[in-house]
Amino acid sequence: MQIDPLISLPFIFFLSLLIGLFLYLIGRRVGASGEESTNKFSPYACGEDLPARKLQVDVEKFLIYAVYFLIFDILAFILATSLVTPGIFPVMYAAVVLMAVLILLPLWRRE
Amino acid sequence: MVWEGIVALLEILLFPGFLFLIALALFYEWVDRKFFARLQNRYGPLYTGPSGMLQPLADFVKLLSKEDIIPKAVDKFMFNSAPIFLLSLPLLALFLIPIADLTAVISFEGDLIFLMFLFTLVAVTVFIAGWSSVSRFSSIGGIRAGFQMLGYEIPMCLVMVGPAIAAKTLSISEIAAWQASNTAWFIWLQPLGFAIFVLCLLAELEWIPFDIPEAETEIVAGWMTEFGGPKLALIRLGKDVELLLAASLITSLFLGGPNNLWIIPPIAFFLLKTTFAVILLTTLRALFARFRIDQMIAGAWKYLLPLAILQMVLIQLGLGR
Repeated sequence: MQIDPLISLPFIFFLSLLIGLFLYLIGRRVGASGEESTNKFSPYACGEDLPARKLQVDVEKFLIYAVYFLIFDILAFILATSLVTPGIFPVMYAAVVLMAVLILLPLWRRE
Repeated sequence: MVWEGIVALLEILLFPGFLFLIALALFYEWVDRKFFARLQNRYGPLYTGPSGMLQPLADFVKLLSKEDIIPKAVDKFMFNSAPIFLLSLPLLALFLIPIADLTAVISFEGDLIFLMFLFTLVAVTVFIAGWSSVSRFSSIGGIRAGFQMLGYEIPMCLVMVGPAIAAKTLSISEIAAWQASNTAWFIWLQPLGFAIFVLCLLAELEWIPFDIPEAETEIVAGWMTEFGGPKLALIRLGKDVELLLAASLITSLFLGGPNNLWIIPPIAFFLLKTTFAVILLTTLRALFARFRIDQMIAGAWKYLLPLAILQMVLIQLGLGR
């Protein structure tokens, strides 16, 4: 990474946040403000009278995918760091990780 | 020292910085819309500017000047900040990619992994945007976006690492330079990886075969339902920047990046290759119909992931590098 503070990652991230904020504030300044009404500030519900409440996420289903996601993420990063020694060893590591998937297959079939 | 600082600042703000990137992103939205319309036998944008070229800018300004409505039930902080993050994260990611020069503005060993992290962060922000606007359509859109992210993220990461292993570096600029110096593009060396990467980018952009999180005919506008006015303008500009990011990633990882040939500046090659990438993505968008979410997830885990691992094993065994 460059030492120059102007061309550094945090500074550019800060600048891009500022640009987003700036555009948004321009929009708020320029934007019209109409009359207030209760319907305007209620969530969109296709014209029906539905109350605003949070839906429950099916965490269990998410969890199964998340476990698999974690396993394969580890696989991806093992392979990403195998730049120096490509060949049979990364493939063997990949095989070990894929064994974990086989062990977890009952989790998949449970439903 | 002061002069160098001014030059660096101009590089960040004007060329190849924010102004240039945003203008190019709006231009590519026009390319996409026009080409998509022509494929469907429509005219597409026509009146604003030469053959409708300024239409995306006009849309942006119009949306920006609309009323900013914040529904009562929403989680205010996350609802207000999500559009800004959705614009600034892809903008930041574009600084890691070589555009006007052979090396990027910011280039360090391992920026490919940082870029993967940014891609994931965009998907998570989409989930938060849908979740924080307490509406059933938005929530369902956000949940779908989360599931979709779990599906395509792993094949994309595996396939992005492919060129890195072949070029023996984790820096995007050096991968592009490796292709230029060996005159071997990875689209020829790893065609399977290229195909998977394009499919995953379609899912990342939420374009038509994978536009499940914002399916208009099912859940209004998905996670964007409650956003309007300047927020929607920022989200749409962010999507354009993301399209530019996808096209330039295809360019630098698989199409050889900006070359330095004779007196033609590298930016000309960059523009040529990214236009090709945008047209490729648009063609795919016009060809397919929307999948269901379970089809998408099952397809990603059953077909895309094994193919990506196969590509990886082939690279490790010496094919495609």
